[in-house]
Amino acid sequence: MNTTLEKKFHPDFLLRILGVTFFAYLFFGFMLLPCLNTLTSIFNVKNAAGERDAFAVIRFFLAGSMGKYVWNSLKLAVLLVITVNVVGISIVLLTEYFDIKGAKILRLGYMTTMIYSGVALVTGYMFLYASDGILTTALKNAFPNMNNSWFSGFNAVLFTMTFACTSNHMLFLRNAIRGIDYNTVEAARNMGAKPFKVLWKVVFPTLIPTLFSLTVMTFITGLCAMSAPTLLGYDSINPEIVRLAGSSSADEAFPQARAALLSIILAMFTIVLLTVLSSYERKGHYLSVSKTKAKLQKQKINNPVWNVVAHIYAYVLFVIYMTPVVMIVIFSFQTYSAIRLKKLDLSQWTLINYFGQQDYEYLTGRGKYKTRVGSISGVFANEATLGGIKLSFILSALAAALACVIVVVACNYIFQKKHKRSGVVLEYALLFPWLLPTILICYSYRTYFNSNSIWYVGNQNLYYAQNVRLLIVMAYTVTKLPFSLRMIKASFYSIDEELEEAARNLGARKIYTFLRVKLPIILPSVLAVFALNFNALFTEYDMSATFASTYGTSYAMVIQAMCREEGLYGYNVNASGRRCASTVFIMIVSGIILYLVYGVGARDLGERLEARDRRRKLFAKLTGKNG
Amino acid sequence: MIRLNDIVVKFGDFTALHDINVHVKEGEFFTFLGPSGCGKTTTLRTITGFIEPVSGTVVVKDKDITHVPIEDRNIGIVFQSYALFPTMTVYDNIAFGLKIKKLKKAEIDEKVRDIAKKVDLSDEQLQKAVSQLSGGQQQRVAIARALVTGPAIICMDEPLSNLDAKLRVQLRNELKKMQKDFGITTIYVTHDQEEALTLSDRIAVFNKGYIEQIGTPNEVYNFSKTEFVCNFIGDINKLSGEVVRKILAAGGKVDPEKNNYVRLERLHVNVDVQPGQVALDGVVTMREYYGLYIKYYIDLGSQIIKVIEKNDGVCIYEEGQKVQVVLDPRDIMAYTPGEKVGEEG
Repeated sequence: MNTTLEKKFHPDFLLRILGVTFFAYLFFGFMLLPCLNTLTSIFNVKNAAGERDAFAVIRFFLAGSMGKYVWNSLKLAVLLVITVNVVGISIVLLTEYFDIKGAKILRLGYMTTMIYSGVALVTGYMFLYASDGILTTALKNAFPNMNNSWFSGFNAVLFTMTFACTSNHMLFLRNAIRGIDYNTVEAARNMGAKPFKVLWKVVFPTLIPTLFSLTVMTFITGLCAMSAPTLLGYDSINPEIVRLAGSSSADEAFPQARAALLSIILAMFTIVLLTVLSSYERKGHYLSVSKTKAKLQKQKINNPVWNVVAHIYAYVLFVIYMTPVVMIVIFSFQTYSAIRLKKLDLSQWTLINYFGQQDYEYLTGRGKYKTRVGSISGVFANEATLGGIKLSFILSALAAALACVIVVVACNYIFQKKHKRSGVVLEYALLFPWLLPTILICYSYRTYFNSNSIWYVGNQNLYYAQNVRLLIVMAYTVTKLPFSLRMIKASFYSIDEELEEAARNLGARKIYTFLRVKLPIILPSVLAVFALNFNALFTEYDMSATFASTYGTSYAMVIQAMCREEGLYGYNVNASGRRCASTVFIMIVSGIILYLVYGVGARDLGERLEARDRRRKLFAKLTGKNG
Repeated sequence: MIRLNDIVVKFGDFTALHDINVHVKEGEFFTFLGPSGCGKTTTLRTITGFIEPVSGTVVVKDKDITHVPIEDRNIGIVFQSYALFPTMTVYDNIAFGLKIKKLKKAEIDEKVRDIAKKVDLSDEQLQKAVSQLSGGQQQRVAIARALVTGPAIICMDEPLSNLDAKLRVQLRNELKKMQKDFGITTIYVTHDQEEALTLSDRIAVFNKGYIEQIGTPNEVYNFSKTEFVCNFIGDINKLSGEVVRKILAAGGKVDPEKNNYVRLERLHVNVDVQPGQVALDGVVTMREYYGLYIKYYIDLGSQIIKVIEKNDGVCIYEEGQKVQVVLDPRDIMAYTPGEKVGEEG
């Protein structure tokens, strides 16, 4: 009797109850219920006569008024799969498989998409290619008959996203190709296979699982594209959802229900694709049987013609990747007039786009000079931009950390043997948001929590005023859970079970063991996930745009706004300059984070101690010399 | 000191340990020996508390610890993988258990340095990360970490299996010396019979979740209780019916109804036959040269028998050479066919 009582009030037991309550709250309160509400809202539509008409939206859809968006998204997704794979496979082969001169520099260029993406990247491309872009302006001067609005709509979206979406290829396909056992290549050559035959018959088959995953991911990216279609003007699903979500029924027929229907359609596509992907992954694939892998050696292209063609191709791609980056960096240090005229002025360099604040004086139509006080301002001097940075910084950091903490706690539970079944349930609950497009989640939050009657959040309207920030943090956190889980779970596998046993054997309690032994082991991975989450959220546009609240104006929304608000007589004379500086700022932040994650964070204790010793020796040497 | 009474361990429907009974005396070096999957590690993990038995008790110093939590048992363990904490320095690894006991910093430092000296780890090595040490040094850290808290018993789960052959022999000797110096009761798990024979005071031979025999190395080797034990430990010849008949015909005492075995080193080639011994004619079919000794495969007509002779450089027999194999029937170990294993300890 006594022992059962003791068991009941044991801290472990109370902790478990707390954990179950928390995860149930998270899953039901912030995943299932809001999304179910969206789903059911489709069937709660009222027709003109005020009667409930469950199939009105579906009829509306079938009548062809909305099919355009779905069709456009599908068209984009299918073509992106082709173009992204062609470019992605090319850049990986050119830098990792073939012997191309300057591969290291090329690789850096191809990797630039990892430090800027989304709105920052699209505005970067616009800066070059839009009707008033640098390149278009230059070309127009050379060829006056040229159509200067060539970079808009579908072509522009496809072009931009083709190069923007190769980051995953650079990460995963690159790893896959580096994992190839070179002995298999040598064996094939030894048996008489020509280099391209080896590539096709030996190398490619080992890459197929990775390529399959990349294809599915690219397809989903295309389907759910948001920033490129919004900024470049292409009618795909997501921008339409955001537009409908902000529309009122006075203007058009049941906009909210239509937004919900589009989200559900997107979700269904995603679910089907992910099911295909996971069943494919579950089948298992070839396993490398070699115990002593040989490092891949670069293949020389022996045919001189092909070799030249490959080099030209590699450098053309390099130019495409690098031009926006270089131009943005250069122009971010140019005066507003140089930016406005899209002409480099090598005699004048300025930091105004970063830190400056100047009055703007202009001549009115009546021949008078007028002054706009402080209307030329840099990223860190412009109130709106600074506000966006601050807000995005805080919300992203909070959400990135929250997602990591939740996932670490969950993984610690999942990895305990006795929680086999409940662990699986927990895992699936955390993977749930993966099935839903982020837009659906945000849209659902926006509609579901825009009410005073949700009891489990204390009958507060979370879409009201400042509360929306809490909602954004929750949306950020929830949408980052699946990715965090996949990454952190992988790191939990690296904890040798015997370490935990050893700690317990030495007298450590479970919590102490977790904090002192297990956590330090997974910490580099957790920090990496935190950093990657933060990187993605800091510049995210899709979600905050869906919330579309003045209290939740994220950094990316500010940047997006800069594209529109620039005007000679406006308050934001140098919006383009500030946009460039913003993009540079994002590149620096992302770059530092990636360096910390992959450069410093990947070192183990031994390597860190060795580095410390080296530093000490160097210091001693220097001071010894000085002394 | 340690008593395992009727321990039964099940994993689902599979019974991993059947009524295990062991009594380890204070200060003893006691080895669990057996092939993989025989239950030796499971027994060890039951003692340390990582596995809870379905029935039976674990008693240490007359105290039943069957249900005592792992962290309160005060039984040290050295893992096969060493399980050193990769994120801590060598010093912090060793100090881990002492910090949990909330000892004062100075006391921890003294104990860590003291044990490090005993296991031959330098001050410089203490400040290194475990990944910077060699396999042998890592093993010393693992032992130091297990010993520093002053456990009543230390368990070692195949601690030498990760090392190369030469280091294994070297550390084996050091291990034995350390155990003697510390005088600590040691339970040692291995599948390596040579390790078991050289290190142990007593050995328990495991097979399929049962203990087949408990005894000193000499008892286990020379007086194997079961057919499994005699086959598992050392190399041995199983005598064919024909050879047994020849021995009988020559006046040797042997039971043809039983399975009869004789160890390789108990057979001799071309020596004088003493009273009671039996000589069998054969032809050398193959010779394996080991340096220290030579192993001959001798065809006795109905079976090829293995014999080991010391390499004295004088009597070396060639393949095809006719020889005489001499054996003493008293060296034959005989077992009733199909006898059930499942022995109390």
